[in-house]
Amino acid sequence: MSTFSKPIIALVVIALLAAACATPTPAPTTAATTEAPTAISSTIDCMGAKSGDTLTLMYQWTGSEEVSANKIFQPLVDACGIKISAESTRDAAVLDTRVKSTPPDILFWPSSSPVSLYQDKMVNMTTDGADTANYASYWIDLGTFSNTLYAIPVKADIKSIIWYSPARFQALGYTVPTTFADLQTLVDKMATDGNVPWSMGFENGAATGWTGSDFIQDLLLTLQGPQYVLNIINGTTPYNDPGVVAAYQIYQKWASDPKYTVGGANGTLNTSFLNAIYLVFQPNPEAMMVKQSGFAGGEIATQFPTLVYGTDYDFFAFPGIKGMQGGADWMMAFSSSNAAKAMVAYLTSAYGGKVWAQTGFDESPNKGANGNYTDPQLIKKAAALASAQGFTPDLGDTLGEPFTSAEWTAIIQVVQGTDIATALAPAAAAQKQITGK
Amino acid sequence: MNPLRTLNRIFHALPINLALIIMCVLWIVPTLGLFVTSFRDREAVRTTGWWTIFTPQPVVGETEYTTYCASCHGAKGNALPQANLSDPAIVNKYQRDYQLLAYLKQPINGQPHVQNPALPGNPNQSLPILGKILVYMQKLSSGGAKGPSLTLSNYVDALVGYKGTNSYLQDCASGNTAALLGLNCTASDLTSPAGMGIAMLNSIIVTVPVTLLVITLAAFAAYAFAWLDFKGRQWLFAILVGLQIVPLQMALVPISRLYSAVGMQSTFLGIWLFHVGFGLPYAIYLMRNFIGSLPKEIFESAYLDGANHWKSFTTLALPLSVPAVASLGIYQFLWVWNDFLVAKIFLTSHPVLTVQITNLIDPRGSNWNILTGAAFLSFIIPMVVFFAFQRFFVRGMLAGSVKG
Amino acid sequence: MMPAIMKQGKWAPWLYLLPALLIMALFIAFPTFNTVVLSFMDRTSTQSAAVDCVQGQPCWGIFENYRYALTNSIMLNALSNNALWLILMVPGTVSAGLLFAVLAERVRYEKIAKSIIFMPMAISFIGAGIIWQFMYSITSGGGQQTGLLNAIIVGLGGQPVAFMSTYPINDFCLMIVGVWLWTGFCMTILAAAIKNLPSEVLEAAQVDGATGWQTFWKVMVPLVMPTIVVVTTTMTINVLKVFDIVFVMTGGNYGTEVIANRMFQLIVTDTGRSTAIAALLIVLMIPVMIFNIRRFQKQEEMR
Repeated sequence: MSTFSKPIIALVVIALLAAACATPTPAPTTAATTEAPTAISSTIDCMGAKSGDTLTLMYQWTGSEEVSANKIFQPLVDACGIKISAESTRDAAVLDTRVKSTPPDILFWPSSSPVSLYQDKMVNMTTDGADTANYASYWIDLGTFSNTLYAIPVKADIKSIIWYSPARFQALGYTVPTTFADLQTLVDKMATDGNVPWSMGFENGAATGWTGSDFIQDLLLTLQGPQYVLNIINGTTPYNDPGVVAAYQIYQKWASDPKYTVGGANGTLNTSFLNAIYLVFQPNPEAMMVKQSGFAGGEIATQFPTLVYGTDYDFFAFPGIKGMQGGADWMMAFSSSNAAKAMVAYLTSAYGGKVWAQTGFDESPNKGANGNYTDPQLIKKAAALASAQGFTPDLGDTLGEPFTSAEWTAIIQVVQGTDIATALAPAAAAQKQITGK
Repeated sequence: MNPLRTLNRIFHALPINLALIIMCVLWIVPTLGLFVTSFRDREAVRTTGWWTIFTPQPVVGETEYTTYCASCHGAKGNALPQANLSDPAIVNKYQRDYQLLAYLKQPINGQPHVQNPALPGNPNQSLPILGKILVYMQKLSSGGAKGPSLTLSNYVDALVGYKGTNSYLQDCASGNTAALLGLNCTASDLTSPAGMGIAMLNSIIVTVPVTLLVITLAAFAAYAFAWLDFKGRQWLFAILVGLQIVPLQMALVPISRLYSAVGMQSTFLGIWLFHVGFGLPYAIYLMRNFIGSLPKEIFESAYLDGANHWKSFTTLALPLSVPAVASLGIYQFLWVWNDFLVAKIFLTSHPVLTVQITNLIDPRGSNWNILTGAAFLSFIIPMVVFFAFQRFFVRGMLAGSVKG
Repeated sequence: MMPAIMKQGKWAPWLYLLPALLIMALFIAFPTFNTVVLSFMDRTSTQSAAVDCVQGQPCWGIFENYRYALTNSIMLNALSNNALWLILMVPGTVSAGLLFAVLAERVRYEKIAKSIIFMPMAISFIGAGIIWQFMYSITSGGGQQTGLLNAIIVGLGGQPVAFMSTYPINDFCLMIVGVWLWTGFCMTILAAAIKNLPSEVLEAAQVDGATGWQTFWKVMVPLVMPTIVVVTTTMTINVLKVFDIVFVMTGGNYGTEVIANRMFQLIVTDTGRSTAIAALLIVLMIPVMIFNIRRFQKQEEMR
């Protein structure tokens, strides 16, 4: 895994050259801000790392995602000569074993939850050379625990979006809603027309329910706003507050009635979250919309290669949402070796953000990424992320266990028709246990 | 041969054969489903059941096509040379119903494209009709009734360790080297570092020594438990039975700490010892049962002939428990072969099959179809072992050695 | 125990035992001790488990993790499910395995038949999960059923069943997967024992005019009994530890939770509770251990 074969290196060089060529030289303006082309070695600060230094990484990326990550690391490898030894796992038990015996120098994980478990072994990101100036303050706040910056987001994905087919909407005379009232009207109109508005399937083995938790959080952000969600995270608002109940009522109606979602409650419980995406874009679609994170675009393109982004599939922001929900892959460090510092400094530098954006591995929260995306889908997502007024992380991920599983269980029960107050009580108790309020 | 007697024998053997065959069918159907699936592409798997490749499928869209299109385009779609619906180049322009609808709204020679009868004006009604017509047009353009399309991609992609979003064979055919990541579409890809060839070798290097070690050490210990006398024998055996329940997850952190202290992380020695440790309690337990149930007399007579314990262990106990050793060997092999977690943690540098395959699957599992091919590639070696070890299941080894 | 006339050196038994004992002590006994210690500590193994006590709520002090393991509603669901698994799956696999081992001996396609029953275990590497998805899955929308069982039900004019999310059907569906997976194991071990039976005894029974059924019950079963007990013990252990089937197919949702899945789910986020559940598993083994010791003694008295 850790060894890069020569063709990959060649490919990265070609990719970088191509990206450079693709950027049209702007006409000289009075305040020309085009940066002079600099050699990579002077852009990347090796932080004292010497050629041959090894750097151990751990991340969840596999398959094509791992390929993208390697492309991003390559300039650092070329510039400093460090040797990367990476391990990929999605298994928290593997991470746990490693951290308790031989921790990786750098960990990338899709939530900052490892901080709460292994904080005493982690290194302050600032001392490892993180350039915090390249991040919006809300990101820095989210990565700060006990007044120390332990985690920095490297990859972000927006969640508060709805995927649909513009061409199908046009053919059927539907327009993209801009307010929550519009959305409710549209959903009811579709149902009256005999078109199922939603594809809400959320089956995912032991993680069944997480798609539902994203949907409910979007409803909370729309009906109540970002501060309300943050209050749930810090424990001032209990998870069975009337505002939460109201969001669950809307969700229950949409997710368990076959008029509103494919297959009704059984469809929601037993359709995998991937198939839920495909059902909207297959040749004879079964639903009009699917609320899913930015990654859905890639899944649609892979499953239906002939479809065109922008006409056959596209997304719009959750109508009327007051803030953006997103997920991020966080970088955490267990070492302050020179090579670890070089990686932290590189990825948090403006140049690192630029490379990330050009590689097109989702969005980068790094400000250096702005304006460097080439894929139209990523440009649109990045714009949505950049213009977000309030940002909230996934509340389940942030609160951590035992809340996360209690929340998923509550969602499953609500879809099965359990009384909302009854279903929410254990989740509220778990929230109380974590926040102590 | 008396035909009546033959008939009688068949009649008597019927219930046995029936019971066996029913059980075999029940057992093989799920695996057969996976086997068939391993030759299908994932969009087909998603929309239709695996058994549909054996059963004729209802023709979709023929009625709709006949109603709206056949009068001009003909039943086979080739009546109008300038708009030949049996030509894939034309049909493939319309992937979705709304594309066809948009096209059909354009008049032809000042006349509506579809008339007599006209399409329903409400798109909520016309789109589903067009969706079905599209399916039928696809069928016309692909040369009518073709057999179910099967693919080897699931096997090939697993074998070479393909990490792209298309398939290895397609990317090779279209020269899409960017997605191939160092694979060069020659035979050398079979030994690519992400592929199954190298991982299968690693799996063998892990599995074979573990199996041999477990059998050997267990045989020694089992002989001691069965035929030697020592203090605390009963208690030790009780503890041994109890140790079988200990979940190996409990050992990961302590052993991993130990290994990193002595520099044994990610070594074959480390993973061998771990697997042997967790294989032994069951192995000793099973072997003690077999060795202990050998008749006492054979050991006594051997002793009278001048044999010591070492001799009776090697010349009597071991050879006579060959069927037990064989069945133990099969399962010990299999458990280590199929292990994921231990290999993932203790052998990072040399990924075994299970680990290698998980590395190919995208985080959200959208290319899970590779698993189907990988499963059958991985399946070959355990089946070979099973057949090889079946040779040792022979009757009559104890013939003539039994009391009264 | 050795025949009385055979002599042995004082240290001989330990020479035979030592390599195995050393390895097991290091890899199982030591981690087990570690597990028991951790089960009395909090979720991050830094303080006593008693710190998790909440005022005004029941508290077992240092045994707080055991209070969770024995009284929490999810754990109660898991314990009762494991009991059901024990009651149904252990006899199911052992009797199916024995029946098959005996019957297959009498036909010419023995090897093929046995390999078919063995196959599930050989393919379990990708988890029975994917395989059984093609049996149990349900399509709730307008699409075709892609699960074989629902296709049959719908073909016969019925309504599709959500096998995985309907309690208690889902529990039985998972156990069927277990039986499918493990019968081959019981069959192989029992077949080895049957092959080891002295053929004279079976032939003698037939000469005496016993029917096949009588030979089976009166001659074969008693002779194979020690191995039946071994296989039953092993299956009991396997069922107590069952985890992968549940994890892959339902994730323990919809009332299908089992002990080992709970243990695995908590292993990272709550080491204290996870290790207490592991310790509970060991305690549950005590009756099995006692039973085996009794049998061990009996077998030696008899020979």
